[in-house]
Amino acid sequence: MSRIGVFVCHCGLNIAKTVRVSELAELAATLPDVVVAKDYKFMCSTPGQEMIVNDIKQHKLDRIIVTACSPLMHEQTFRKVLAASGLNQYLLTIVNIREQVSWVTHDIEEGTTKAKALLNGAVYRARLLAPLTSRVIDVNPNVMVVGGGIAGIQAALELANTGKKVYLVEKNSTIGGHMAQFDKTFPTLDCSACILTPKMDAVLQHKNITMMTSCEVSEVKGFVGNFDITVRQKARYVDHSKCNACLACTEKCPGKGISEWDEGLVKRKAIYIPFPQAVPQKPIIDKESCTFFKKGKCRLCEKACEQKAIDFEQQDTFVQVKVGAVILATGFDLMDTKPLVQYGYGKYPGVYNALEVERLFNSAGPTGGKVTLRDGSEPKSIALLHCIGSRDKNNHEHCSRVCCMYSLKFAHLFKEKTSADVYQFYIDMRAAGKGYEEFYNRIIEEDVKFIRGKGARVTQSADEPGRLVVEAEDTITGKFIKLPVDMVVLSPAIVPRADSKDVARLFNLSTDKQGFFMERHPKLAPLSTMSEGIFIAGVCQSPKDIPDTVAQAYGAAAEALTIVVKDKMELEATTAMVNPASCCGCQNCVRVCPYGAPGFNETKRVSEINEALCKGCGLCASVCPTSAIIARHFTNDQVLAEMEGLMEF
Amino acid sequence: MTISFKQIEEKLKTEAKRLLESGQVSVVLAYGKGYDEKHPMPYVARNPSDVANIVFNEYCNYNMARYLVRYPAGTKIAVAVKAADSRAVIQLIQEEKVKREDLVLLGIPVYGMKNPKTQEIIDGKTTGGLYNPVLYDILLGDEVHGQAIQLPYDVLAAYESMDKEVRFAFWKKEFDKCIRCYACRKACPMCYCDPCFIDQNKPKWGDKSPKFHGNLMYHLTRFHHLAGRCIDCGECSRACPVDIPLYLFHKKVARECEEMFGQAAGMSIEDKPALVNFRVDDSDKILE
Repeated sequence: MSRIGVFVCHCGLNIAKTVRVSELAELAATLPDVVVAKDYKFMCSTPGQEMIVNDIKQHKLDRIIVTACSPLMHEQTFRKVLAASGLNQYLLTIVNIREQVSWVTHDIEEGTTKAKALLNGAVYRARLLAPLTSRVIDVNPNVMVVGGGIAGIQAALELANTGKKVYLVEKNSTIGGHMAQFDKTFPTLDCSACILTPKMDAVLQHKNITMMTSCEVSEVKGFVGNFDITVRQKARYVDHSKCNACLACTEKCPGKGISEWDEGLVKRKAIYIPFPQAVPQKPIIDKESCTFFKKGKCRLCEKACEQKAIDFEQQDTFVQVKVGAVILATGFDLMDTKPLVQYGYGKYPGVYNALEVERLFNSAGPTGGKVTLRDGSEPKSIALLHCIGSRDKNNHEHCSRVCCMYSLKFAHLFKEKTSADVYQFYIDMRAAGKGYEEFYNRIIEEDVKFIRGKGARVTQSADEPGRLVVEAEDTITGKFIKLPVDMVVLSPAIVPRADSKDVARLFNLSTDKQGFFMERHPKLAPLSTMSEGIFIAGVCQSPKDIPDTVAQAYGAAAEALTIVVKDKMELEATTAMVNPASCCGCQNCVRVCPYGAPGFNETKRVSEINEALCKGCGLCASVCPTSAIIARHFTNDQVLAEMEGLMEF
Repeated sequence: MTISFKQIEEKLKTEAKRLLESGQVSVVLAYGKGYDEKHPMPYVARNPSDVANIVFNEYCNYNMARYLVRYPAGTKIAVAVKAADSRAVIQLIQEEKVKREDLVLLGIPVYGMKNPKTQEIIDGKTTGGLYNPVLYDILLGDEVHGQAIQLPYDVLAAYESMDKEVRFAFWKKEFDKCIRCYACRKACPMCYCDPCFIDQNKPKWGDKSPKFHGNLMYHLTRFHHLAGRCIDCGECSRACPVDIPLYLFHKKVARECEEMFGQAAGMSIEDKPALVNFRVDDSDKILE
């Protein structure tokens, strides 16, 4: 027979508002094996914790039930209380009557009844709980950073500087990410390349960083402290160990591909480096545009290469990397604005998206930094359209956060480089950030015209062929306006990478409504995820500017460090085990386990579970046809007892 | 084209004899004489001399794949399989219960099989609408072509037209009859769990006495455990001494599984069992 103590938390009014907590404690006192039942305003406070400690001593309690908030919040707190009182920490049960009860109803009757049912179930289950021992495992001291944009670069550098070995995985042939495409950065207008390229170079030079460009993660096994990650090294068709970056090959190449780097504004060679400051500064061959791969002959680059570095036979290879923690900094895509036909992107040559304009300004860009339209002429009037696809219930509800500011930057650069009239079509100007409002005021002074109204449509001018007309409602005057311009710049919504769902699946992350990676807690754990040991930084979490991205990168590096700085770590004891006498050898458990924990022993013809890999999710136990798998802490008996308790209400 | 049962029987005997004599297999699972012609029995030939007892006629409905899991791993077995039976073998291979290399499949292309109790021709109704084995090593006869195909789910039309209450009343009536003899479980090639959930005492998943609620628990759980695995041989329904049309529920679940996961049970060795295999493109219909 067990001696159960039930402690009901009010959480101020968070719980007490919609659950009659004293009634809950009264009920608890009548339940089997319950020796003491109390309610208290804040159970997690020091007096609350002391109350539990005292009651454990005084009443010789051996099971503790805390009905409070989600176990995600305070399970660890109360486990420590049990441990300090000499009880096994797994004899604690948390009943979540806040997130699952009081916060989801306004009806105090309903809330109280549900809380009672949950508590009754918990008492039934607690009677059957058994003490468990946590496992201690070794921690791999290395870290992987996925994504070589500014977030990934910064996180990798920070970690490498602490002496940890870092694998920086980038799917493109160069690191740098979107920031390397920009010309100037707001609000200080310092040159993007000037502040980024030293960091890119530092990555290249750092002895603790293994840079893996043209690489993608293809499989993730293991768990916090011991990830075993398979990285696919895509064929570059150039042996980078031989290449001396003379780039003679690129001069001879007759191939023509679309420059991804210049947002498709110009062509590039089939063997190329994306931009002059690329890191590593070694070319790759794009199979799609290479004459040899298309027609079977050419090989001019091979002839030009004195180092014999060209290798048309190269295949994708797979590299195993073992790390203790992972930082994902996979960045963003711009929304494809072609489906928004009203803006004419892709139809009218005068309509550009923001990244294309960044390239126009850039001195390494397709026009050498001159602002010209696709026909080579200089625009006389330019309209910047904010919030295209974002802050839009039909497309993306979220604010992309940087468009107001980069549109101001564009306005300034247009004014600097052309004599054009510049118009901003905005819903609201959002300039929250250090120096941002000041920058906004500065641009207002620069004779940029601000029209408060979202651009509704872009059409071709009927009177002047080649010119465009922007239609909008000026919401200050209440008038509809039609403004003829030469150039329209769209600020498309910042959206998650097209493959972000696949990446989320690989690393077992959840995504939010928009598809950005979900953080563990929006305020208190913005860089952690629900998968322990996996951290996120930068725009893959939500749209943000460079200062915030860099700050997150520092934070994620610190978070990763908290794991890899230790040699050993404690893991949950709630794992599954196989009773070999009942195992029928169907291997369902092997197939369903997302962590690869069960394996099949061919000689004994039974499944065996690698406890180091098991996360205790219980999938294997649920598919086991002979109940041979026991999920510790959630055994059939315990779960059925809980269900019985639930159904009594 | 008509099926010559005699010819199939002769071929079955010849191949069984050859396989046993050459030592290629140590067991041949086929059909033997019963107390009359209408009631043949499952038969296991272990010696070449046993082969004389083998028979084949339109009442040989038994799914001999049922007996495969009784032999120790590595036993070389030849098994006579009709269309649905071969699907059972494939499903067992998918579930790692038997190995392809241990088996010699004696495929029987046939139609016009009859239920001895009712004399009713069972094609289509409970054999998945197939006449030719999906997988075989040796085919005992010519492939059946041109025979009218009755689609496997056609018989569901009447069942599906019932509304919720009528349907529950229907099963209430049927399950009230159940005497818990477990013949359905015994006949089923996919029911190999040992112990079966209903035989477990700790925890006790369901009531064991033959009363409606325990019966409902047993049958519904069994239907659920066979979701995506039932190969529609119909043996459960024929084995049932009180004639519960179990195949209706199995077919209903099979159809939903097929629509959801794009694969029918036991159609290809390469498939993975639908319900214990995660695929990125799996249907989320169940969550909607």
